[in-house]
Amino acid sequence: MSSSHNQPYDTSGQTWAFLTLRIWLGARTLLAGLEKFSEKITTQQPLLDANGAPDSSGAVVEVSKKVYGISHYHGIPEVLKTKFLDEPLLPQFLTTPFYAVLGYALVILGAALLLGIWTRLSLVLIGLLYTMLMLGLLLIHQEDGVAWLAIHAVLIANALLLSKHNRFSITRK
Amino acid sequence: MSTQDKNDSSPQINRRSFITTAATASAALAFARPAKLFGATVAPSDVLNVALVGIGAQGRVLLDDTLKIPGVRFVAICDIWDYNRQYAEKYLKKFGHTVKSYRDYEDMLAQEKDIQAVIVATPDFLHAPISIAAMKAGKDVYCEKMMSNTIEGAKSMVRSMKETGRLLQIGHQRRSNPRYLVAKNRLLGEANLLGKITTANGQWNRAVSEDLGWPNRAAIPKATLAKYGYDDMHQFRNWRWFKKFGGGPLSDLGAHQIDIFNWFFGGPPVSVSADGGNDHYSNHEWFDNAMVIYKYNTPQGVARAFYQVQTTTSAGGYFEQFMGIEGTLRMSENPKYTAIYREANARDWEPWIRRNFLKAQAAPAPDPSADAVVDARETAALATFDLPVILNKPAHQPHLENFFNSIRGKATLNCPADEAFNSEIAIFKACEAVLTGKKIEITAEDLKI
Repeated sequence: MSSSHNQPYDTSGQTWAFLTLRIWLGARTLLAGLEKFSEKITTQQPLLDANGAPDSSGAVVEVSKKVYGISHYHGIPEVLKTKFLDEPLLPQFLTTPFYAVLGYALVILGAALLLGIWTRLSLVLIGLLYTMLMLGLLLIHQEDGVAWLAIHAVLIANALLLSKHNRFSITRK
Repeated sequence: MSTQDKNDSSPQINRRSFITTAATASAALAFARPAKLFGATVAPSDVLNVALVGIGAQGRVLLDDTLKIPGVRFVAICDIWDYNRQYAEKYLKKFGHTVKSYRDYEDMLAQEKDIQAVIVATPDFLHAPISIAAMKAGKDVYCEKMMSNTIEGAKSMVRSMKETGRLLQIGHQRRSNPRYLVAKNRLLGEANLLGKITTANGQWNRAVSEDLGWPNRAAIPKATLAKYGYDDMHQFRNWRWFKKFGGGPLSDLGAHQIDIFNWFFGGPPVSVSADGGNDHYSNHEWFDNAMVIYKYNTPQGVARAFYQVQTTTSAGGYFEQFMGIEGTLRMSENPKYTAIYREANARDWEPWIRRNFLKAQAAPAPDPSADAVVDARETAALATFDLPVILNKPAHQPHLENFFNSIRGKATLNCPADEAFNSEIAIFKACEAVLTGKKIEITAEDLKI
C-alpha cells in the first residue's frame, strides 16, 4: 500500500471525508454487483421433530435460502428486462451485452475503489455505469429509482472533487 | 342391490359438456404414469389385490391415486352403469391391470376370492350394505365419506367392523395429509401456538351449477334403474340432492370441514343449531344453503364453531379456521387458503420458525389509508405466517397409502369408522337442526353404537 505519498498528511478532515465516500461507494458498488450473483432458492427437506428425527407424519417442508454463485447470475431483474424490451431506445443489441457485464463490472469497480486501485478512474466508471442505469429507469418512468441514482451521482461527484486527498490506496491515481 | 355412479366434489358437468369432458379426461389420464406393481420397496408377497366398487367421479379419483401407489393390483371393478365399467376396464388395461367387471357387488364378492381390499365409492346409501358385505367376506374396506345417509347405516358399519375385525377406513383424506397432521400435532399440540381456542369457523362455498347430464346412447334402461332404486337417469346422476340416496350439501361438502372440527377439538360437539333452505334450486330435495353453529366441550373449555355451506356462491372457497387467544390457524386442502396469524400479545414464535413449523410472510406494503383511524378499538393487523409443509402427491393418495400400509400391518388407520362416526352424528344432527329449526343436544346415547 502506498500510504507514503509526497503530500503531507491531511489533518483538515478532507482525507477522512474522501475515505468515507470511497468506502461507502466502493462497498455499495461491490455489494450491488455481488447481489447479481445471488438467488433465493427453495429446497425440500423432511420436517424434524424435537430430537432431530423426521416427523412421524412424513411431512416435507419447503425451506428458502439465499445462495451465491456464477450460475445464479442475473444482470437485472426479469421484470425490468421485460419493460426494457418495449423501449425502442433500448435495442437488444445494446442491452444484452450490458446485462451480461453489469454484475462483473460492479464487482470489479467496487473492489477497485475499496482497495484504492485507479481510484479516480474507478469513480468515473462507476458514475458512468449509474448514469446508464438511470437512462433505463428514466425511459420506463421509474422516477424513484432515478432520484435514488441521482444521490449516487452527487456522492461520486463529491468524491471526485476530494480525490486529491486520496490515501491508503494501492495505486496513486 | 348393487352399485351406482358417484359424482363428487370435482367440477360438475351438464349434458352438453359431458361427452367433451369425458373425452378430455380420458386423453389426459392416458398420459398418467403408472406405479410399478413390484416396486423396489414392495415385496411380491406384499402386493394387494383390490376391487373398486363405484366408478363415478370420486371413484375415478381414487382409482387414479391408487394407481400411483406401488404394490396394489386392481383385479375387479363393479358398477351398475356399463359406461363407467367400460371406462375403467380400458383405463386399467393401459396400466397393465386386467380386471373382471361386475354389475353386482354380491356377484363380485362371491366370485373374487383373492381380493384383499375393496374401495367403495358409490352413492352414500350403498356404503353400508357394500362395506358390511365386503367385511363379512373377509375384505378390508376403504369407504368414501359419508359413511351412510342414515345414522343407523353408519352405526351398522362400525358394528360390522368390530364384529369382523376387518379394517374400515373412511375417506376423510385430510386426516392423512401431512399439512393437517403437522397443524394438529405440532402447531396446536406441541407448540400450542394458538393458546386457548374459543372459536372455529369453516365453509365450503360453491357456485351455482347445472344438474349432471349423461350421453343419451349410454342411458341405463328404466327397468334396470328401477331395480336399483332410481326413478330415472336424472335421479341416478344427481343422487346427492335426493334424501333417499344422500345427505345433501352438509354431508357432501360439509363433512370435510366438520370432520376437521371434531378431529382438532378431540371429539364431537355437544349441541347444534342451524338454519338453511332451498334458496335457489327448485328441483332438489335437499336444501341449497345452510349455516350451522356447534358447541364443543374441549379440555381447554367451551369452543363454538360456525359452519356454512353454500351451493349458490363460491365466495371465499373452502377452509377451516381455528381462533385462539394467541393466534389463528386457517387450514385448507388448498394451500393458497392456508395461513397462520399471530396476535400482537402472543408469545414469541421464533423457535417454531427456526424448526420450520412456520414461515414468516413478507410484510405487506404499507396501506396509504392506514393513517385514517376507523375505530380507536380496532386491533392492529396480525402478523401472517405460512405453513411450509407441502404435499407432493394427490390429496387422496396419503390416505389410501395409510389404508394399504395398515393392511400390511405397517401402520394404523388414520380414520377408522368408529372415529369417523363422530363426524357422521355431527352432520346428521346439523341436518336435523336445519329441517326442524330447533337447537339439538348431542347426547352420549346418540354416540352409542
